Amino acid sequence: MDIQMQLAALRAEAETALDGVASAIELADLKAKYLGKKGPFAEFMTQMKVLPNEEKPRFGALVNESKNAVNALFEARREAIEAAEVAAKLAGEAVDVTLPGRTIRSGARHLLTRTVDEIEDLFIGMGYTVKEGPEIEQDLYNFEMLNLPKAHPARDMQDSFYISEELLLRTHTSPVQVRTLLEAGGNKPVKIICPGKVYRRDDDDMTHSHQFLQIEALVVDKDVTLADLKGTLLVLARKMFGEDRQIRLRPSFFPFTEPSVEVDVTCHKCNGKGCPMCKGTGWIEILGAGMVNNAVLEATGYDAKVYQGFALGMGVERIAILKHGIDDIRHFYTNDLRFNRQFR
Amino acid sequence: MRVSLHWLRELVDVDLDGPGLVKRFNLMSAEIESHEKMSTATKLTIGHVLTCIPHPDSDHLHVTTVDIGAQTLQIVCGAPNVAAGQKVVVALEGAVLPGDFKIKNSQIRGVASNGMICSLDELGIDHKYHQEDGIHVLPDYAVPGADPLKLLCFDDEIIELDLTPNRGDLLSMMGVAHDVAAMLDGKTTFSSPQVDEAAEANPVRVASQSEDCKSYYARVIQGVKIAESPIWMKARLIAAGIRPINNVVDITNYVMIETGQPLHAFDADLVKTDRIVVRAAGADAGFTTLDGKERALLPEDLVITDGIRPIALAGVMGGRDTEVGPDTKNILLESAVFDGIRIRKTSKRLDLRSEASIRFERGLDPARTKLACDRAAELFAKLAGGRALRGVSVYESQNLAPLSVKLPIAKIASVTGRAYEAAELADVWNRLDFAYDFADGVFTVHVPTRRPDIKTYQDLIEEAVRISGYQLIPTTLHAAAFNGYLTDVQKSRRLIRATLVGLGLDEVVTYSLVPPGIATAFDLGDRPAVRLLHPMTEERSVLRHSLVPSILDVLEYNLKRKAENVRLFEIGNGYSLSGETELVSGVLSGNCQESAWQGKADPFDFFAAKGILEALFAALSVKNVRYVKPAQTVAMLHPGVVAELFVGARRIGILGKLHPNVAAARDLPDVFVFELTFAALLAAASPDLIMREIARFPAVRRDIAVVVDRAVEAQDIVASLIKAGKPTLVDAAVFDLYEGEGVASGKKSIALALTFQDFAKTLETAEIDALVARLLKALGRETGAALRS
Repeated sequence: MDIQMQLAALRAEAETALDGVASAIELADLKAKYLGKKGPFAEFMTQMKVLPNEEKPRFGALVNESKNAVNALFEARREAIEAAEVAAKLAGEAVDVTLPGRTIRSGARHLLTRTVDEIEDLFIGMGYTVKEGPEIEQDLYNFEMLNLPKAHPARDMQDSFYISEELLLRTHTSPVQVRTLLEAGGNKPVKIICPGKVYRRDDDDMTHSHQFLQIEALVVDKDVTLADLKGTLLVLARKMFGEDRQIRLRPSFFPFTEPSVEVDVTCHKCNGKGCPMCKGTGWIEILGAGMVNNAVLEATGYDAKVYQGFALGMGVERIAILKHGIDDIRHFYTNDLRFNRQFR
Repeated sequence: MRVSLHWLRELVDVDLDGPGLVKRFNLMSAEIESHEKMSTATKLTIGHVLTCIPHPDSDHLHVTTVDIGAQTLQIVCGAPNVAAGQKVVVALEGAVLPGDFKIKNSQIRGVASNGMICSLDELGIDHKYHQEDGIHVLPDYAVPGADPLKLLCFDDEIIELDLTPNRGDLLSMMGVAHDVAAMLDGKTTFSSPQVDEAAEANPVRVASQSEDCKSYYARVIQGVKIAESPIWMKARLIAAGIRPINNVVDITNYVMIETGQPLHAFDADLVKTDRIVVRAAGADAGFTTLDGKERALLPEDLVITDGIRPIALAGVMGGRDTEVGPDTKNILLESAVFDGIRIRKTSKRLDLRSEASIRFERGLDPARTKLACDRAAELFAKLAGGRALRGVSVYESQNLAPLSVKLPIAKIASVTGRAYEAAELADVWNRLDFAYDFADGVFTVHVPTRRPDIKTYQDLIEEAVRISGYQLIPTTLHAAAFNGYLTDVQKSRRLIRATLVGLGLDEVVTYSLVPPGIATAFDLGDRPAVRLLHPMTEERSVLRHSLVPSILDVLEYNLKRKAENVRLFEIGNGYSLSGETELVSGVLSGNCQESAWQGKADPFDFFAAKGILEALFAALSVKNVRYVKPAQTVAMLHPGVVAELFVGARRIGILGKLHPNVAAARDLPDVFVFELTFAALLAAASPDLIMREIARFPAVRRDIAVVVDRAVEAQDIVASLIKAGKPTLVDAAVFDLYEGEGVASGKKSIALALTFQDFAKTLETAEIDALVARLLKALGRETGAALRS
């Protein structure tokens, strides 16, 4: 038989044999049988030794070509077997992806401090800096320099916890305004917000808390107007309660501002149509504000003929209550985690 | 201030509708607290009780027949005072009484009852105003079939103003009328009182020896007959929130509500002299007020005397000795102005705040002092048969002239950001009924004495803006450039919050005021806590030193509600008289990992808690924290599982395990507690600002185990190694602790991983061997540690 035909037959035989091979061990055995030292291709090479020299190159090339082809068949088979083995292994490793994750629980921010941050950031964006001050405050700073002399009837609006004749728990963060104005020395503009804890003699109930958080803002400069206050309030109302909000100002009274206003914002629940949230009025009172009373400017060393300003003050709890539909102010101080963790 | 619309209509010439008025008040004047009908009862009629017989099947009910004009009804009535011949208020079938009480025809114990005979309570008139039991009996002239609410003047609406302290002027119907006229562009329609005086002269001489008495007007009215007031006056007093008593008292109250000027009526025959002297109480120790109570006086309290003894506590309450009674015939009427602060102090101290004292506090219109006196005299004549003696006794020290305040038109523009026309402003002053001059762009407004709250141009701006409307003010933002930022301290506070939240702690906010024992419960040593002068309750009486007890309360609260693995923190102040210390405090309980599925539970221990703090310190760049057993014990903490934390000499806080006794008493599991001082933490921070080189040569790790006395602290071993190994030894980390078999008793074995690093070359084994040998030698010298064999 011609060598070419012999090689072709051998290759066909190997191909058939490979068909049934499913494991790496079987494959190794079969590979040894065909391509091993005692296999048919080795046999061909020994036959070559007896061929005339001029035929040797062609013969050798034919055998090698055929051997390489068979080897390639074995390689292909090996890869297929390995792939099948990997696939089988991976199939065995499949998990139920719906089982729970191992919880790594992060804590929850308290809604009040989070709301303070939110309002701080809003005002910082408008150029305000954040000022803080003591909670145990002097009567002088908490009341007297704010146009609230001793025995002024308006002190009843903020019934207070006294520690001594002259010391009390601050009833608002306005004393921080006073301290900041005094520090500024009467000739520099001031643009600050003052967040912090304040205290008033109220029995704790659904809507009152003897301790609460307040944020006040104060701008003093030569050209600050009531219109600027209104614009600032509109920004605040929209950032806190939605871009569709409108505001309105109503007359009010605070000894440290004149004129003084209460600020209403259109109800974010009914968009001003009237609902239980806004008691049918379409408006919700959110804070008090006004133009800084000249008596305060003069007391803190500013020339009221040159400087003027506005101030506003809000209860953080009230803002959070309105924004998040909270039904009882005491939730903030009970710290039931089922409440706290709703807000992160 | 409760405002009757009936009364108001008499004083101002504009059409008033309740809802419209409420809206105006809210936007232009004072906030409206409530707006309600005086009685919401419907389908009422006047009835004439024709017959009244006992109910056949009841010992207290009556069966009546009642003529209601067009027909006669049979009504069963339970009131004991019902009787034939009475004119009564009948609620008909279908009527709805206050409290959504619907009237239906029915059978009451087998007898048909078609309607109900009403009491005043059932009409919605609070019992405190009439104190009548049983049905209300109408006067004889009542006509059956007519509207009883109209007859009783209860067909009124009341709006209640929530007044701010500056608007004392709105504590009078006249003041309200002025503001309504301004809001609605109307005119007030006040009439001047007409006093028909007797020929006999008023003998009273009035004097004041105190600056706290600003003015005193007195009249003597003779021949009054004490009786009930007419229906209209009683209704108006009830509308104003005042209980009718008798005509004399009612007139003084009525005139006070109308004018804002408190009045007091003495029984002239019980005043021993013809003199009134107002003075400080001085040596007078006390006297009996007309409520029968003996009142202790302070020397500075202002009293009205007859020149000998106090007969009234000025502006607060009259004396019992000179009280008007059923037999009073002659009245000495006082209309006076006292210093508001003086009245406030006395009335507050004696807990005697009244309609009168509130008006003195808020400020009166001095122009109405005499007016009120005359108005009362007019009403005494009309309603009590009295006659005023000739003349008014007067002490007057007040300035009755208007206050002129200047407002440049440019000023209102620069303050409000809106350019007001002169005509707009003139209109405001006209509506407010303020006289004014205008020249060279400046308004000079002559503010009448009825508005003592207006003293400066700012006050005038407020009037102009509210009456013309806040909606006119434009919306702008202050244009000047400012830099807004958080300070480093504020940023650090936020970083602490974010880090602790990230580490799994929930943030809480608790009260600063706590019970006395709690305030100091977490103290190291003995410091008194700050106590309030007048706490509302013991529960909230003292300012806390530490946040820990409050956070433990929150822990306990949540564990009781089945929360698991509760980890909490709070940032807040501890308080003392020397100042406030901001603290970062927390508690850790349960397992470090939230869920133990496919893993084992790993309960918090001291070292897990310490790990939390170390992560926080890393975030804040607080390095080289030393843990030191405290010299003093903290009662709340386990004495063996507690450390004070230091960076250098600076104490930054404390970490420890809650004392098992404390935990057991509150039914708490193992709890780890920390409290850090915010300022110390920040001061200890040493952030890397400049890049440090990353080593190019490999680091070498070498593990050693040393045996050392139990008492030697790991921290000291590490410190000793680091000191001796500088600069090549860059880290020495404890990774195991062993006591027991193979280690002598009283000793412990500590395994450490040493990391060596040379920035210039690769370290050779021989070099490291030599270094380790040197380290062990140094360690042995300093701590007595020996290599474990």
